[in-house]
Amino acid sequence: MKRLSSVLMVMVLVSASLFAAGGQEQGAAVAFDPNASYDLTIGCYGDLEKAYTAVFATDDFKQKFPNVNITFQTSDFNGHHSRLTTVIAAREATNDIEALEIGYIAQFVAGGGLSDLAAAPYDGMAVGSDLVDFAMSNATTKDGKLIAMPVDIAPAVLFYRKSIIEAAGLTVQQMENIKDWDEYIEIGKKLTKDLDNDGTIDQYAITHANDVAMVPLNGGKGGWIDAGGNPLEPKAKFVGALELVQNIRNAGIDGDMGAWTGPWVEAFSNGSTATMVNGAWFGGALKTWMAPDQSGDWRVAYLPGKTMASLGGTYLSIPEYVKEDKKGVAWEIIKYLSTSPSAQLTTFNTIDAYPALTSVYDDPIMDEGLAYFGGQQVRKIYADVAENIPSNTVSEYDALILSIWNSTVTSVLTGETGMMEGYDKAKQQVLATIQ
Amino acid sequence: MTKQEKIAPYIFVSPFFILFLIFALYPILYSVYISFFKWTVSGPQGFIGLTNYKNLLTIDPFFFKSLSNTVWLLIFGSLLQHLFAIPLAILLNNGRDALKGRDFFKTTFFLPYITSTVSVTLIFAQLFDMNYGWLNYIWVNLFNQEAVNWLQNPDTIKSSLAIMLNWRFIGWNTIIYLAGLQAIPHSLYEAADIDGAGPIAKHWFITLPQLIPIIFFAVTMSIIGGMQVFDEPFVLLGGYEQMGGNMNSGLTSAFYLMFTGFKASRFGKGSAIAWLLFFIIFIMTVINRKITKALEK
Repeated sequence: MKRLSSVLMVMVLVSASLFAAGGQEQGAAVAFDPNASYDLTIGCYGDLEKAYTAVFATDDFKQKFPNVNITFQTSDFNGHHSRLTTVIAAREATNDIEALEIGYIAQFVAGGGLSDLAAAPYDGMAVGSDLVDFAMSNATTKDGKLIAMPVDIAPAVLFYRKSIIEAAGLTVQQMENIKDWDEYIEIGKKLTKDLDNDGTIDQYAITHANDVAMVPLNGGKGGWIDAGGNPLEPKAKFVGALELVQNIRNAGIDGDMGAWTGPWVEAFSNGSTATMVNGAWFGGALKTWMAPDQSGDWRVAYLPGKTMASLGGTYLSIPEYVKEDKKGVAWEIIKYLSTSPSAQLTTFNTIDAYPALTSVYDDPIMDEGLAYFGGQQVRKIYADVAENIPSNTVSEYDALILSIWNSTVTSVLTGETGMMEGYDKAKQQVLATIQ
Repeated sequence: MTKQEKIAPYIFVSPFFILFLIFALYPILYSVYISFFKWTVSGPQGFIGLTNYKNLLTIDPFFFKSLSNTVWLLIFGSLLQHLFAIPLAILLNNGRDALKGRDFFKTTFFLPYITSTVSVTLIFAQLFDMNYGWLNYIWVNLFNQEAVNWLQNPDTIKSSLAIMLNWRFIGWNTIIYLAGLQAIPHSLYEAADIDGAGPIAKHWFITLPQLIPIIFFAVTMSIIGGMQVFDEPFVLLGGYEQMGGNMNSGLTSAFYLMFTGFKASRFGKGSAIAWLLFFIIFIMTVINRKITKALEK
């Protein structure tokens, strides 16, 4: 028995030492040496690998980084962020560069685990001076640490089909000058129709009332907790957001189609929806696979009342536990992807991810009329929105509050709770859960 | 016995124990440790004792909600399966000679179990779609009823999940019971035949008592599986962003555990949920054992 205990004890010690060896110490970055060879890994999701592969294949990149070999670890969106959250919490090895979607940035801003890019030798604040303000602000902690660099953003706009609005007696000028959401709802009533007179509506103004739920809340990116630490304040702003979705549902102008379901995707190609509120990237999805045969019919307008919001975006970070000899080169690659006009425009051309770098907004490409949008200069609208999106404070509880709020929106939409009751309950749930 | 001969058995069994220690025992014990901390994405933020457990059992608005949803699904989505699976297994077993295509039915019943949960859930999402789903098409056109919002109405969310769980796991349980039925000695039925017992009496007095150990095993597996339902509500109800849908009706305990850990990045609290869930499953298994023991007598 004594012998067995000794064997078990040895096993425990062996396993414990193995795990101890897995954890890594944080170190200072070793400066990038252009003459040295590097093998670098990037963890990303979705189409990012496609975009960055295109960037790394450019002559400009090859000239600047001839000795840097980069490999990707690409996962689906949720899988990537779950992996990243887990390995950082466990203080284990990660990829040298890790991509983060804007919705996940808050937990790292407040929680740590990523290198401070504002500190020496990175000096990210100066490097990122030409990146859009709100995106830099979202990645900055209260004490001034910059935990990631924004590479692309998703300024929110209103997409609409010209042929459908004209068939409803509306004009492009009217769509471009919708003064508020009430006017949008009135326009929506004209766009919602029973085209074949069979008693059921087969053309809706918008796929789902939920599509606009986050717009008054800056796309749900930050702003969930105010400067005083109070969640869901000011009350009027959040109740107003609930009122908007409820008014849309009560007006009967939404098709109640859940995002990314078959009917939802189909609605854009078969004409059963006339408008869509989404980030600039959505134009790329329409053009490439959702509705490629409607080239020339889609248009873009500012959101009603010129609401400025962001509905997505990507950041690149260097986790704290990356080996110090990799941090310098990782930073150079991040700097290139986020602040080089060549990389920003290549990414934009490859996957329609809108540049975070404001200096490229003056590039001639931004003035080009796009055939898919009937020759409209849509990129100028994206740029204007991007530069005017307000900055918001993010908190470690954002993901939690966002989920509670989404559930509240659904409850209000289905009539399970009233607006005020829904707001009060959501606030109560948030306060109890963040204890 | 030489020293080498004494050590040899330990060397041979050591690979299993080393892997078990690293990949099972260590994480399990580590999760107990974590549960006493406020542990965020950047690691431990301070020892807080039993606070995670206390908060979950007193002020957390989702723990008991998720637990009641889980128990509801356990009854109507997991335990209900056995009322279908046992008769199906008896039918397959008795039809050994008469039932043509028995292997086909066995395969068909088992197929949902081995199909990817995500694929199944996506197909069910289309079936349950309010405007374009087949279920509402039949409901509205054949039964002349109003369309049901299966995945947004708090009551029908749970029913939808239960339908899907039954569909997926009845076949699995049927095969388990079929294996149990085939192990019952045929001589017992022959003796009953000599005594003049009818089919119902044979099932009541031979088949069911003989199946009790299998019922215990299958029900235990259902309790464990039912208390850990995650994939189905996660995919069907919009993932972490929706927290189980309208009024959190599809928020199960395992879903809340995963949400707390991997979305809200509260690993300490997530570990505490895991341990509370473990104790609940343990208690349920003990009760199940006591009931089956009583039935065996």
